[in-house]
Amino acid sequence: MESHWTEVIVALIKCVFSLAFVMQIVPVLIWAERKFSAYIQDRPGPNRAHIMGIRAGGLVHTLVDVVKLVVKEDIIPDHVEKKFWFAAPVIAMSCALTTFTVVPWGDRFVVPASITAWWGGEGPLTVPLQVATINSGMLFILAIGSLSVYGVMLAGWSSNNKFSLLGGLRASAQMVSYELAMGLSVATMFMLYGTTELDKVAAQQAGPIWNWGLFGVLDADGFDPLLFVGWIVGGLAFIMFWTSVFAETNRMPFDLPEGEAELVAGYHVEYSSLRFALFFMAEYAHMIVGSAVTATLFFGGYNIPFLPGDSIRAHADTIVTVLGFGAVPVFIAFAVIAWNRRKRPFYQALAPDDIRHREPRFFAAFWSVLAIAHLGLGVAGLTGAVGSTALGPELLAFILQTSSLVIKVLIGTFFMIWVRWTIPRFRYDQLMNLGWRAMLPLALGNVFLAGIWVIFREAVQA
Amino acid sequence: MPTVKIDGIEVEVPAGTNMIEAARKVGIDIPHYCYHPHLSIAGNCRMCLVDVEAGGRGPDIACNMMARDGLAIRTDTPQVATMRRATMEFLLKNHPLDCPICDQSGECRLQDYYMEYGQYESRLSDPKVTKHKRVDIGDHLVLDAERCIACSRCVRFGDEITGTGELRLFNRTDHTEIGIFPGARIQHDYQGNLADICPVGAITNKDFRFTKRVWYLKETDAVCTECATGCNVRVCHQQGQVFRLLPRRNDAVNKSWMCDHGRQAFEAITGLDRLLRARVQGQPADLDDAVAAAATLLREAGGGVAVVLGHSASNEANWALLKLTRDNLPNATVYAVAGNDPGAWDRSDDFLMDADKNANSAGIAALMAHDPAIRDRSDLVQALADGDVDVMLVLGDDVLGRLGADGAGVRVIHVGSFRCTTSDAATVVLPAAHPYEQDATWTNRDRRVQRGRRAIHPAGDSEPAWALMERLGAALGKAPGATSAAAAFKSLASSVESFSGMTYQSLGNGGAVLASPPSPPTDDEDALETIHA
Amino acid sequence: MNLPVEQKRTFLERIYLVEIVKGLAITLRHALHNLFKQDFETFEYPDVRKEMPERYKGAHRLTTRPDGRVKCVACMCCAQVCPAKCITIEAGELDDDPIEKYPVEFQIDMLRCIYCGFCVEACPKDAIRMDTGIYEINAFTRQDMIHDKAYMTDLMAGKKPLAESFYRAHQDAAPPGYDLEEDRVLPVDEPRGL
Repeated sequence: MESHWTEVIVALIKCVFSLAFVMQIVPVLIWAERKFSAYIQDRPGPNRAHIMGIRAGGLVHTLVDVVKLVVKEDIIPDHVEKKFWFAAPVIAMSCALTTFTVVPWGDRFVVPASITAWWGGEGPLTVPLQVATINSGMLFILAIGSLSVYGVMLAGWSSNNKFSLLGGLRASAQMVSYELAMGLSVATMFMLYGTTELDKVAAQQAGPIWNWGLFGVLDADGFDPLLFVGWIVGGLAFIMFWTSVFAETNRMPFDLPEGEAELVAGYHVEYSSLRFALFFMAEYAHMIVGSAVTATLFFGGYNIPFLPGDSIRAHADTIVTVLGFGAVPVFIAFAVIAWNRRKRPFYQALAPDDIRHREPRFFAAFWSVLAIAHLGLGVAGLTGAVGSTALGPELLAFILQTSSLVIKVLIGTFFMIWVRWTIPRFRYDQLMNLGWRAMLPLALGNVFLAGIWVIFREAVQA
Repeated sequence: MPTVKIDGIEVEVPAGTNMIEAARKVGIDIPHYCYHPHLSIAGNCRMCLVDVEAGGRGPDIACNMMARDGLAIRTDTPQVATMRRATMEFLLKNHPLDCPICDQSGECRLQDYYMEYGQYESRLSDPKVTKHKRVDIGDHLVLDAERCIACSRCVRFGDEITGTGELRLFNRTDHTEIGIFPGARIQHDYQGNLADICPVGAITNKDFRFTKRVWYLKETDAVCTECATGCNVRVCHQQGQVFRLLPRRNDAVNKSWMCDHGRQAFEAITGLDRLLRARVQGQPADLDDAVAAAATLLREAGGGVAVVLGHSASNEANWALLKLTRDNLPNATVYAVAGNDPGAWDRSDDFLMDADKNANSAGIAALMAHDPAIRDRSDLVQALADGDVDVMLVLGDDVLGRLGADGAGVRVIHVGSFRCTTSDAATVVLPAAHPYEQDATWTNRDRRVQRGRRAIHPAGDSEPAWALMERLGAALGKAPGATSAAAAFKSLASSVESFSGMTYQSLGNGGAVLASPPSPPTDDEDALETIHA
Repeated sequence: MNLPVEQKRTFLERIYLVEIVKGLAITLRHALHNLFKQDFETFEYPDVRKEMPERYKGAHRLTTRPDGRVKCVACMCCAQVCPAKCITIEAGELDDDPIEKYPVEFQIDMLRCIYCGFCVEACPKDAIRMDTGIYEINAFTRQDMIHDKAYMTDLMAGKKPLAESFYRAHQDAAPPGYDLEEDRVLPVDEPRGL
């Protein structure tokens, strides 16, 4: 009775956390997309909107964007197929979010007995940091990932507009084509790991960096140089999986469904206001989830290289000390840079009473406060205040591992943005050639290669 | 007739024709300022100097060189060009060049000839001679003496046409200045013509002053309908709005002149008295509904139906009304009520302003000759007095006002452009287009059928009267059957003897005189008295 | 017709990846440069403004005579030459002035205007100029986008027009009789000031 309710509440908390995990990164990505593309194109990018004079390098624009999208008139064209038209953005968004349920963002979180006692729990409660611990995790990803094409397809068809229909057609053709290569890459990794459960997949990659799926070594107790050739299998699988993720998220260079030049805006041309925002966010959610899955399959998931979860818990005080004191000079440097920005020509050109003169002062203060806080953290580590409690090491492990995953996700999404502003769009025949004539045979071959490699690896390890 | 040779082209012209007119006949334009075909020859502008090849001694002015056998002139020699350029330089010496504020610019001979023969570079080192500007010389005229080139056209107009002689040239040489005697003022009824004949901007029209640059205006040939003279006019309009009227040369009717009243008559198009919407029982109504109401009224008339032709309406409209009546209303009596509307302008003279203010009296007379059943004014008075009239269909004229009747007991259908006693008393009012808003013909006092062309679209819901007659005929059962003004006129010409053979093409711009004189209306003493009172 | 010949590519080029990395390197170089140097060519517009060239065609203004009246005499040359037909002038008569004609109303529909400057070229009185340097021509209603006589006369009150410095530098380009101090064309030798 008691454990039943605990499970439900814990599951709910995890749901909210995973939703928040994805949705909090989306605005950051939108900002990064704008700012990074601006820098690539030699312009300053968003820099106008501000709150009380604080522009935060254009971050406020994202906030304003949200307000705009929510407040804008929601236009429902007369000629659309209402039911499907309403459902399409919801499908797009929920598919993106659902995939994230099987991605683990930490090894475990042990709630100490002192806390479980609050609701009458018996002993410490071990919570796996994953919304749904299902044994077919990888297949689940494939299944839900294939569903997301329905959002695009329905949007394109139900809009009753030739541009959106063409966009929807292209999207479905493209997704079906790249699904194959993606599935086969996942199958390759499935063979290497010997399991489809993503929590176990992530756990297998703990420890040294060559334990990452990318190198295909896995489960090596000691390092054998011979095993390093595993990167051929893992690397090929990664490249194909990563390319397929691009195609599945409709990102450049695979954004033919949206091709502005020929299709206006593609499948979501008839959408406005919050419905458009759902498609917009779904694209970024897809990027995040795609990066998270890639990180889990190839880059050790939540694991910090050479620092397994148990080591974190064991050396909690040392880690806090190093991190705390290490961060102080970095933040002080940030504070100095922020303070020096007041000398920029832009601030010279402003009127003396302009509210934006606060910005350098604000950020200098902000980074200084952070530096002081981390100084306190370092002191706390020195005094051993963290390791002595039951909750401290658990929290530290949770924060560090989740941050590790976040950083990997950010690197992945950053790379996607980077690629978008570098590589032009494929032509449709090039897209199909790449999918069917290059990636599919390669992926098939890689499956065979993976089989051989697994046998070889066992032989070496034996 | 003598034959002359102009630039090597031989042309035969009547004796007494000068070389400007002769050259015009072969398509050669000889520039001139002081010469005007309807004024005496002064020969003081010197612009029309031409080389004489044979038959005389040259160079000489073309305006005063009458055609005679053996005369040969050239207008294309370098010497002629030099003379013209020199003349232009003289004329422009003291010209203020205030073209930007001059109403004449755009139709100024100085501008035109300057572009063709001008000196282009000023050799003037002394200050210009200044003269009187903006002199108020008449109710309709403004004089700017600086712009004047002393061509004396206006002086001759005053001496020869109106005989009033107010304007004179004063002083000598380049101080020559046009002006009026102190205390005098031009007061005749033909002032607008002075602005027209002035080749430059010295005399301009006060009414048209600064309202529009002339190059924006489009011109349509029309006929003035303010009196029985039927002066030929050009309607200057832009975007459906008339801005001024100019006389159009017709030597048989008005030469090059028109009166000031006719010149301002276009203001009535947008005047407050204009009927723009159909009315039934005094309430605005759709044109279709009003026509249906009129048809019902005519069809279900209890007593007699009186149909009154319009003395100021066009030939087409009157014929359509007559035909409609004969076809649909066999029991109706057709009347023609001569006389002027009460409130009509009352100036008249023996030149252009006729005492009869109806544009089409002669046309009605022709119709009465064609159809003897048409009754006259006294018959209608009698019928009204006897109470024989239940429904009265009136075309254009203010019949009740002319008769001094109050129309009690009579239900009136009024088809007209302007509000009057009749339209106020009318049960149904159908708005008719203004003469400048329709293609139509009128027959003037000399029995000349003249054609006016549509300058602008009919205002409001109004339509040409003949078209309203078509609608009414269709509502009554049988329409007169014309689809255009030309067709309506064709129908008239094929039925009425005196119009026979006329078409819009044959009328042209000059008009044509009716075939045989109708028997003069002998029993219409009242009307004649009214007119000549 | 010559069809483009398929370019021969090496194996490395054909597998895309190397070329993609090369491209990524270029864009990253730009991004990092801009991140640390922050030396954009961009004007941070409302705060930092570009200095407009002297002959920049900005909003129209109506020049005035010493007595404060507009120089315009409503000759309609600008309205005539305007290819967008955006100038509307209503002429009127001045009783107390040797220059009899003046514009009662002078309107330019800035929504239609194409800034060709023909009106300035056509003006015989130097009455209309586009040397204000004003390029922020905007309003919330269409009606407000129609600049009228009062607006265009007061537009440069207390400001220096762009042309001033231009005429200072190129004195032979100034209109005859142009007076730099007054920024207006003085009457040449016309006794009536026309």
